[in-house]
Amino acid sequence: MGDRERGDLALIDGARALDKHSVSALISLFEDMRPEAVPRRALVVDQLREQSRPPGAVLGITGAPGSGKSSLLARLSLRLLEKDPVLSIAILAVDPSSPISGGALLGDRTRMNLPTWEKRLFFRSQASATELGGLGPWTFQVSRLLEALFDVVIVETVGIGQSEADVRHLADRVYLVMQPLAGDEIQFLKAGIMEIPHAFVLNKADEPTSQRSYHALRSSIALARPDADNIPILRTSARDGTGIDELCDDMLAAVRHPRPPARDKEAYFFERWVRDEWGRSGVRRLEREWGGAESFLVAARSFERAQADFSSRLGDLGR
Amino acid sequence: MADKHYPHQIVDKEGKVTRDPTWIFRTYSGHSSPKASNELYRANLAKGQTGLSIAFDLATQCGYDSDDRIARPEVGKVGVPINSLDDFHVLFEAIPIEKMNTSMTINGTAMWVLSLYVALGRERGLDVKKLTGTTQNDLIKEYLARGTYIFPPEHSLRIIAEMYEFCLREMPDWNASNICSYHLQEAAATPAQELAFALANAIGLLDLLRERGNFSATEFEQAVGRISFFVNSGIRFIEEMCKMRAFTELWDEITRERYGVKNAKYRRFRYGVQVNSLGLTEAQPENNAWRILIEALGVTLSRDARCRALQLPTWNEALSLPRPWDQQWSLRLQQVLAYETDLLEYPDLFEGSVVVRSKVDDLKRQAMAEINNILEMGGVKAAIESGYMKSALVRSMSQRMGAINSGEQIVVGMNKWTEGIPSPLLSGSDGGLFKADEGAARLAIEGLALTRKERDAERVARALAALKDAARTGKNMMEPSIECALARVTTGEWAKALRGVFGEYRPATGIDGQKLGLEGDRVDRVRARIEKLIPKLGRRPRIVVGKPGLDGHSNGAEVIAVSARHVGFDVIYSGIRLSPEEIVRSAVEEDADLIGASVLSGSHLELADQIMEGLREQHAQDRVKVVFGGIIPLTDFEKLFAKGVKKVFTPSDYSLIDIMESIVSVLEEEAS
Repeated sequence: MGDRERGDLALIDGARALDKHSVSALISLFEDMRPEAVPRRALVVDQLREQSRPPGAVLGITGAPGSGKSSLLARLSLRLLEKDPVLSIAILAVDPSSPISGGALLGDRTRMNLPTWEKRLFFRSQASATELGGLGPWTFQVSRLLEALFDVVIVETVGIGQSEADVRHLADRVYLVMQPLAGDEIQFLKAGIMEIPHAFVLNKADEPTSQRSYHALRSSIALARPDADNIPILRTSARDGTGIDELCDDMLAAVRHPRPPARDKEAYFFERWVRDEWGRSGVRRLEREWGGAESFLVAARSFERAQADFSSRLGDLGR
Repeated sequence: MADKHYPHQIVDKEGKVTRDPTWIFRTYSGHSSPKASNELYRANLAKGQTGLSIAFDLATQCGYDSDDRIARPEVGKVGVPINSLDDFHVLFEAIPIEKMNTSMTINGTAMWVLSLYVALGRERGLDVKKLTGTTQNDLIKEYLARGTYIFPPEHSLRIIAEMYEFCLREMPDWNASNICSYHLQEAAATPAQELAFALANAIGLLDLLRERGNFSATEFEQAVGRISFFVNSGIRFIEEMCKMRAFTELWDEITRERYGVKNAKYRRFRYGVQVNSLGLTEAQPENNAWRILIEALGVTLSRDARCRALQLPTWNEALSLPRPWDQQWSLRLQQVLAYETDLLEYPDLFEGSVVVRSKVDDLKRQAMAEINNILEMGGVKAAIESGYMKSALVRSMSQRMGAINSGEQIVVGMNKWTEGIPSPLLSGSDGGLFKADEGAARLAIEGLALTRKERDAERVARALAALKDAARTGKNMMEPSIECALARVTTGEWAKALRGVFGEYRPATGIDGQKLGLEGDRVDRVRARIEKLIPKLGRRPRIVVGKPGLDGHSNGAEVIAVSARHVGFDVIYSGIRLSPEEIVRSAVEEDADLIGASVLSGSHLELADQIMEGLREQHAQDRVKVVFGGIIPLTDFEKLFAKGVKKVFTPSDYSLIDIMESIVSVLEEEAS
């Protein structure tokens, strides 16, 4: 066994004890884009699979900026830790990256009045590497690592559109956090995200428009979802604590509920990876063999011909 | 028989030639402990200072007890720590508060500190109605520039209003708040912005008082008369003098036209001044003495633009907190001006000046346009919440920095005539700098423990319950707060009780949408260097930008965070008021490559110790590099390097791209 393997095994031992440095280093390994990281990851996954511990539940919390997700999460996780004295929680917060510089501002690390080194709570930010937010290329892998270590993994995203579907595949239960709106149901329907969540959280319940928004949201769900009766709307306020207990109970029930095997998730995310990877290799080939999109278009003389041309050159693999 | 008099003379009621009274001389001071500050105040009063101006430490300003984790590095640093009424007894020992005009720079906890003052008066058996002074209590400028807010805007405004309602009946000579334009200029507001934002702020307050409907018409008129202002005076001293005239005239017009105040006495623009610190330089600091003198002239020279009270900063303010000698030197300047010169012997010098009249009118026009603009937006609260005022100030600041960078605006000794003989003022054994008492925190914490031990726990619980009840039901919270003070509730307990009801304000960090002027080849080169680091590190480099401690001057840290993303870092930024442990935890959990800590309160050495110790405990001292920025004296650079800090940035590093290049090079050294 080499030094590196010994080091990784020590990290796994540390991470199982929820040592912060070890957990953090393993997450970095699962985000590492260098080729030498791949076999190391495989080792870690094998090791973790051998443990008897069942994987934790993955909860998705999504919602637009300004809906108060971060403050809600702060209060919520504190209460969860109080309610269940042995529960451990990892929060993975995904934020968008700048398309220009590639950098990201990962704000709002949840602030809690906990003993600073409380091991039962771990918070990590991740840049999505895309402009709109949603899940990043490493989110699934990191979430898989964390569910082997913690009882609950909360994945927080600023999701719009397609990325919501990813969250539904990643998480065992998805909560959509909304804030009271001016009040008509059209606005909720327009958001186009009514189909995804398992539960709605109407935050800022202490605001005066909250009551009207609740009814508007109820009727929107009734229109959009055949299973409307089974979809809870939880009303919360991170400010005065309203509804936090109910939301905790909903989450704890999800944690205790039996979960489908991890294989299902893997299939979806493997397919997603193939799609991305195939796209990347297509672009690489376009550049390598034909000098990039611009010269390919010039040679083909029109957009449509370029498409047909490219497909036929790729042969069977392209269909 | 009366003598013949000339227009250049001031004549009293009996027809005798006289001179104007002096303004009130104040020195903003307080440090270490109540006892040390009490000694300082008594010494200053003996030197001829005529009013008290109390500086509180950041823990007290933000509503934390001295033994709170987040407060510890700040205790006694920028002011005096006050934990309970016991501390006030020590702070004012042998000082007859009934004869003092006491100004207190306190905002988020203003109601609490006023309650302590009233409670002190009651325990001394004084007639509280006779107490005079000011609680600064202007939260609008805290949200905009200074950062010691606690509660969300609507609750902060309610507290201010309740203090006006209490004071008008119970302490008629007390200024419940002081509308501050001072801090706006420190944040680079132009004179027209200073006028407009401050007056819009005052309008917002008076509108609120009128809406609440707790005053009769007569009382409301008196309340208008209680509004006072705290104004800045900068180096363009002729313009500043004109600004003061514009303030006076605009206030007279607004109170007459908008509020129908008939009594001219209640329309008077009452104000104190502290002269500008923004323009004081770290380079050739002795030049600041002249700047302070000139800035003082702007607000004393002419009768119609003369302040009621004046505070001067000290020559070395860009380097450290002042020593007692530095404060004495500034006080002497005021005394020379008031007593040696003939300044106070004349009526207004510029009456009838065509030039001054025209300049004043121009400022008034610009200011009125901006006031109307803000009122159309829905007033000052809306202009805060939408970020309008903040972004206007950020724009002014970047224009100012741009002009200094390009040399268009000359700052002597900083961007021109920078060669010079080293200042002998900095060569004393203390290097010309103040050193806070290291034992201050210990003393404060011991005093706090004693108070907690000796008080009546049941009375404390009852008082806090009554306070929360008032907060919830909308009753005036002054009397319940006074009872808290008498019961020896602590500062942290008072604030915690109200945080529980009102919540805590966390502003949008204001970091998005800032225009940095960061473009061009150098930015491209830094981005390319970061792209090169990615394959070496296996991922994009990550940095934690943190503001440990309680000072709320977040603009510097925010600009750094935005710049770092702009050049391609992944940046973890969580806003202000973090304990060093929280910053270390961020760095460990986020597996960051570098921590950038911004400290302006003078606590950089303690905070560096705590951050480094935290990293060592987590075995991350080799993994995570640390750089510091803030008001850090040159003499402390070596100390920080010895602790393991890699780079130190100060206000003289005003080029953002320089800073970014420097940070990238720290990571490159590590990766190679």
